[in-house]
Amino acid sequence: MTQAVVTADPNEVIPGSHGHEHDTNTGVSNAKLAIWLFLSSEALFFGAFISTYFLYRGRDAQFLKGPIPDKLLNIPFTSVTSFILLMSSLTMVLALAAIQRGDHRRLRIWLLATCLFGATFVGGRVYEITHLYSQGLHLGTNMFGTTFFVLTGLHGAHVTVGIIWLLLVWNRSMQGRLGTDKAEGVEIAGLYWHFVDVVWIFIFTAIYLIPTH
Amino acid sequence: MTESTDLVTLSDETPATGEDASGGAVVPAGDQHPVPAHGDADHPGPRQYVLIAVVLVILTGVEVAVSYLEGHINSNVIVVVLAVMAAIKFFLVAAWYMHMKQDSSLFRRMFVGGIILACFVYGVVLFFFSSTVLKS
Repeated sequence: MTQAVVTADPNEVIPGSHGHEHDTNTGVSNAKLAIWLFLSSEALFFGAFISTYFLYRGRDAQFLKGPIPDKLLNIPFTSVTSFILLMSSLTMVLALAAIQRGDHRRLRIWLLATCLFGATFVGGRVYEITHLYSQGLHLGTNMFGTTFFVLTGLHGAHVTVGIIWLLLVWNRSMQGRLGTDKAEGVEIAGLYWHFVDVVWIFIFTAIYLIPTH
Repeated sequence: MTESTDLVTLSDETPATGEDASGGAVVPAGDQHPVPAHGDADHPGPRQYVLIAVVLVILTGVEVAVSYLEGHINSNVIVVVLAVMAAIKFFLVAAWYMHMKQDSSLFRRMFVGGIILACFVYGVVLFFFSSTVLKS
């Protein structure tokens, strides 16, 4: 439960609070501070794998021994799944807007839509991985296989966690245990979801769009 | 949202440490006006969110189109254009969907600090490993 802070001066505006001061040492919600800190560490986490991918790309002897990315990756297909993930960010933020104005029916609709888009994206990744395996590209085939499967696999795992999280939020709402005063819980789940979307923006550009040669 | 239906009103009688059951609003003592209770007063509306989504989709389309120009224009130009567009998409999602523009600057500093640290650390790694350990 968060608290309202009553200031002595009726005209006082606390800088950076946007009119919503919390009774904490920092003046902001601890839960939101924690998720931003977590996302900051996640930036370092994914940064490690993206930079490892760049480190080995273009080093033909190690990177392109066996099946090569240009012949295997299906850019139109991945563009469509990327579009779907972008749309899931829109439905997520619409879900947050819905609970903030007390519209729980729309909250549930947008949450389900977000989960559906996320599941479609994960399905697309599973299809691609299956296809690449059938084409002879495995985790140990070459450095492209290693960096590609680890990076996209970890991202897919994050999306899956996000879907489970949102389904739990949806379930709470269905049980009537997600009041308008709990909007911050939806916002925190949304922050995680948007971050996963942002990470894919860079993975999509790095692996699929930037020329290998 | 400005159309928030859950409002909090605190009057002069409100205790100085008054707890708000709805959570999270700063209400100056003596202020009779209701204020939104959920930190959403400055957040954009659904129309702005949809507009941002349209821009993101257009940028993604342009990105894909640019990637097909390989062989027609210099690869370095393609890389720079794609990197800039990815950065713009990142900014749009972070600023508008994650509300970094409206929320406390502490969140912004924390997140951007992590991004800058990641760029610095992995920039150094890429620079030194490519020129020494993995030099081929």
